[in-house]
Amino acid sequence: MSMHIGFDFTPPDVPGKVTGEIKYAEDYKKEGMVFARLLTSPLPSGRVAGIDATEALRMDGVVGIFTADDLPPVPPPGNPSLASNYVTYVGQPILAIAAVTEEIAESAIQKVKIDFERRPFVVDPLTSLAPGGHNAYPEGNVLVRTTEEGPEGSPIRGAEIRDVKWPQTAIDALKSGKEPIGGEFTTEWSFGNIDEAFSNAEVVVEEPFVTMGYPHHSLEARTSMAYWENGKCYFHGSSQSQSANNNGLARLLNIDPADLVFINEATGGGFGSKIGAYPIMAVSGNFSRVLNRPVQLRITREQEFYIGSARSGMQGWIKMAANANGKVTAVDLVIVNDGGATGGGSGNSSAQHVTVAYQPENMRYRGISVYTNTTPRGAQRGPGQNEMAAVLAPLADKVANQLGIDRVAFRRINAIDSDGFQGGSQGPVTSAFVKEALDQGMRTFGWKEKLEQPKENGSKVRGVGVGIGYHGAGGRGYDGLVRIGVDGKLYIHSGVGNLGTYSYAGTCRAAAEVLKMPWNHCEIIRGRTDRHLPHSSGQGGSNTIFTHTRTNWVAAQDAVSKLKEIASSEHGGTAEDYEIGEERVFNLRDPSKNLTYAQAASKAIELGGKFSGEVAPADINPITQRAVEGLAGTGLIGVAKDNLPGQGQPPGVLVGFCEIELDRDTGKYQILDYTAIADCGTVVHPKNFENAMRGGAVWGVGLAALERHVYDPQNGLPANTGLYQAKPPTYLDVNLDTQAGAVNIPDPQNPTGGRGIGEPTQGASAAALASAISDALDGHLFNSAPTTTDMIINHLAGNEYSTKSLKTNTF
Amino acid sequence: MNPQLTRRRFIKGVIFSGAAASTGAGVYLAANAQPGSGGAERLITLNINGRNRPVDVMPSETLAYTLRYKLDLTGTKIGCNRGECGACSVLINGVPNYSCSVLTHNVKGKAVTSIEGIKGSDGSLHPIQAAFVTENAPQCGFCTPGQVISAVALLNNNPRPTKAEAARAMSGNLCRCGAYEHYINGVLRASGQIA
Amino acid sequence: MPSHDVMPNMELFQPTQVEDALSLADRFAERGWLVGGGQDTYGWLKDRTKTTEALIDLSAISSLRGIKETEDGLEIGALTTLSEIGGDLKIQRSYSLLSKAAEVVASPQIRNIGTIGGNISQDVRCWYYRRGLSCYRAGGNLCYADTPEGMNREHALFETSRCVAASASDTAPALVALNATMVIKSTQGERMLSAEDYFVGPSIDIQNTTALRPGEVLTAVRLPTDWANASFYYEKVSDRNVWDFSLVNVAAAFKLDNEIIQDSRIVCGAVQCTPRRIVNVENAIRGQVKSQKTADLVSDSATAGAKALAHNGFKVPLMRNLVKRAIAA
Repeated sequence: MSMHIGFDFTPPDVPGKVTGEIKYAEDYKKEGMVFARLLTSPLPSGRVAGIDATEALRMDGVVGIFTADDLPPVPPPGNPSLASNYVTYVGQPILAIAAVTEEIAESAIQKVKIDFERRPFVVDPLTSLAPGGHNAYPEGNVLVRTTEEGPEGSPIRGAEIRDVKWPQTAIDALKSGKEPIGGEFTTEWSFGNIDEAFSNAEVVVEEPFVTMGYPHHSLEARTSMAYWENGKCYFHGSSQSQSANNNGLARLLNIDPADLVFINEATGGGFGSKIGAYPIMAVSGNFSRVLNRPVQLRITREQEFYIGSARSGMQGWIKMAANANGKVTAVDLVIVNDGGATGGGSGNSSAQHVTVAYQPENMRYRGISVYTNTTPRGAQRGPGQNEMAAVLAPLADKVANQLGIDRVAFRRINAIDSDGFQGGSQGPVTSAFVKEALDQGMRTFGWKEKLEQPKENGSKVRGVGVGIGYHGAGGRGYDGLVRIGVDGKLYIHSGVGNLGTYSYAGTCRAAAEVLKMPWNHCEIIRGRTDRHLPHSSGQGGSNTIFTHTRTNWVAAQDAVSKLKEIASSEHGGTAEDYEIGEERVFNLRDPSKNLTYAQAASKAIELGGKFSGEVAPADINPITQRAVEGLAGTGLIGVAKDNLPGQGQPPGVLVGFCEIELDRDTGKYQILDYTAIADCGTVVHPKNFENAMRGGAVWGVGLAALERHVYDPQNGLPANTGLYQAKPPTYLDVNLDTQAGAVNIPDPQNPTGGRGIGEPTQGASAAALASAISDALDGHLFNSAPTTTDMIINHLAGNEYSTKSLKTNTF
Repeated sequence: MNPQLTRRRFIKGVIFSGAAASTGAGVYLAANAQPGSGGAERLITLNINGRNRPVDVMPSETLAYTLRYKLDLTGTKIGCNRGECGACSVLINGVPNYSCSVLTHNVKGKAVTSIEGIKGSDGSLHPIQAAFVTENAPQCGFCTPGQVISAVALLNNNPRPTKAEAARAMSGNLCRCGAYEHYINGVLRASGQIA
Repeated sequence: MPSHDVMPNMELFQPTQVEDALSLADRFAERGWLVGGGQDTYGWLKDRTKTTEALIDLSAISSLRGIKETEDGLEIGALTTLSEIGGDLKIQRSYSLLSKAAEVVASPQIRNIGTIGGNISQDVRCWYYRRGLSCYRAGGNLCYADTPEGMNREHALFETSRCVAASASDTAPALVALNATMVIKSTQGERMLSAEDYFVGPSIDIQNTTALRPGEVLTAVRLPTDWANASFYYEKVSDRNVWDFSLVNVAAAFKLDNEIIQDSRIVCGAVQCTPRRIVNVENAIRGQVKSQKTADLVSDSATAGAKALAHNGFKVPLMRNLVKRAIAA
């Protein structure tokens, strides 16, 4: 019976969020602080030939200017902090001006004259691939990796730009839903024999699809404030991660990571756009050093659109086959990704979604990522997987319907289990219970009952849908660090960032569990580097619950071992003679021989060495080494690298069920019901789990129904930089009665049984909604995410809707 | 000149612009503080969270700016600065408003309540705040002060709102994390409809 | 694009009497900017795409606020907020069309400060124009939206003339349907305009959406008893149900005698630069039973003359359906 895992608790930062007392980067002030503002590019492509800031610098209150010349050059296709030789999208930062007030800084920006040299530009991948199409860079339009891709969100290294063109016949084929024969790809893999499988199939469905890019628009824009003291940079920033930010940010500031104090108590959302250090962080940090004053660089909402990253769009073609039993026998998938001005695209992750959702017997994937002169793209909540889920669900419904198999049953036939595989390499998973999730969801949602109810009511028509969301959900090999203080409290040092998922807190429960420590005697130490925080994964990829319950578990186990050793040295016997409980370590045969945790901590300090952190394990990361050094002699130190055995990817899988009522006069619909059932192992924090299901459901509505980039191909201008134009869902656009549940079968490779589930919550919701829309409209396939009001109206009116051109950034 | 346009009538009404802002609170601007022309009219007293706060306000300054930069009340967040998100919501005479889209000179003589004024005078959480904690309602927390403001105003006017009424009243507060349902549950909890 | 969001420095006048506001409006004319709730104004100024020497803030003039009964209906002060209008029992009782329209504008907080005068006098929402591009409406000599590749999903179907921007107001169609009268004052005196004449399209004045001249102030909106307690229908269709402007909206008033339509005013918003009265439909249904059958017969003609741009063709069936629903409801 666990003490903490599976029980509700209040993460320590929640009260500060409801009172407004918790601080975000923008809330800090410092004596002598000046305000910097960015000048951003009016042009989609070109070069800065000259900057005349004479008039701006003459203004009262202006204290300095900072340009690309003040930073090391970044060769394309890198994403420079400030652009000069390669201006590649409208809104790209070019320079910053600091002044004593924001108003003066903005007025000064207006007085700067930039001499631009224009270059041709392009806002659509297929337009660039077409013969004679413009390229986003003078050197070309396609990223070719010369080394393997890093984890999601990591900077692109080992890559070159090439000029790739497709024959017009291939472009036309893709747009009309056929295989783009003759098109060149940069990523290809396959398993089995698709040709044979297609020829033997009972049903083959072949469709084009498009998913559009859209901005993350974290509600906290990436404002930062930096100052320098005694050779150290104190950097208030907004990041999803804490320790995983250190090395990248130190590199941007050209300092040793030991000289960086990164302060990030709370982060106003990230969704993949703030996983590690990002380019604009270089500006406030280095500008502050140059000016020798604290610099706050506030990012406006419009600038957050420009530099805050966005989901990559996809232009694709898929051919899917199944046998008479409903087993998916073959999938052939082509994806052209929109990399924006920088970015790699996420087509491989999209293909991976297909493998997990339907476990095809044979499959081929071919992909290429094309640069456009639109905002830089990066990871966004389930990048690749979630948008694929949204367009794949109605298509899978079509296969099921043609086979005459119920749509849920079809998914059950193809569902992944613990012996299943993921990705093109067909790698193993740690465990998977998706059939169980589908069965539970059908019951909770009332799938069969809903299918039997009348469909039409006047202008309104009901639709029900089902969808699957998937994302890899865990990593290995990071470090844990805990300290038992002489006050007897457990201090859990966490290098995990606080982006609003509360995984930083949920993972700390594992240490309390191991040490059998009441939660009110635990304190989480986090939020600033100088609080001695261990090496942690980045808070992306839904990995944190799996990854850091493990690190906290092993660190706490290390503390337990040390408690027993200390007790045996004090009371005799061997460590094996001792057990822990009720904040004591005691002799199993004679419990009167015991030490309180407080006494043991004092003993640890006396003993020194490994007990108090004077000596650290050899295999921990330098970040953790520094943290342990900082804590040495302050208590009993439990520290360890996660070397727990195991293999395979922990999958986070979610099934969603959605019911809508669509009005055929207006194209509008209401979501009547939404059920989400997760396969994420043991639920660590039930209340937070339910909330994660709900938040992800909202994101699914954005992806499936509302959010998209709109760029004018004539001038490269984005139309929807603001929130009201970008259309994130509001209270009145979503279902407010989510039924959330979990299979709750422990994952064998996590000591708490948990796996992550953050990202697929969106994919399942988007897929279920897209499936329900299609169902309401007699199986019509829009093959587009989002499917917006205008598309539905146009379909119902018999008009051609414009996204059939597969444009990723325009109507 | 219109004879009705008397000096007396305009003493209350005219604020002249000045070149550079000074600040009531931030030492970081003191070096540049210089009086603008007609600076006296810029010195106004605001009623914030039940206290009178003298402050030097530029003519076109927004309330969000004054709160955050002049009065150091940073619980009010600027999410968009355009009235498109609600993170900056405050109560003006009890009514929720976007403080990014109200001029500070417009709230002279009115009672402004920011998130810092929601707690009880003994420091206890307002029932809405307590319910939001119980529901673990905030995600990233950036929109939360605004959500609290709208929820407090709702319950002041309608102590037992239905779910639909609550959603409508809260609908001017965007939550990018999608925590809508958790906030609604918090409203229902604070109004005694769920326990 | 260069991005700004801090209010630039400018003069601010806060008159407390209408006469003082009129004097200021007269003195500054085009160099001044009248502001009520400011919900359209502040965006322009923060973006620095438009500027002014002086803000003339009308919000302290108490005589411009409130709803009062007159001999011939109701008079609504121009500075009355949309929330006040939505919640007013007199309006709900006799002119619920306007209540409904006021309640779907933007968001609660915007309705709490946004005024009826501002909502109907707001500038168009063409995103090119708002980006500060030098289009016809901004004094230039081209239109960015009316091109084969222009991103014109939200733009107009009717009566475009160089500019294809559409009216963004949710309440303006209701005021036209109610045959409201606009009370306009200046130092020269007072004049009245029907709601229909208050709104002007680009063929008449490409830089302004209303007939207000420099120095004039809209002080009140009068709702005549003529259309009080008619049978009303209002519907707004937008992508999101909060904040968004209408893709199309409809405001309709029907005078009925035993289900027979004696007279009607049917107005659509967001389909041209001004609220569009569907006069041919009004004529066609006069004397007909207000029913689905009548609606089905006439709704096709609601969009006669519509000229869709590259991406706003969906507005044609949407408008047709909304007019149909108004008649069938």
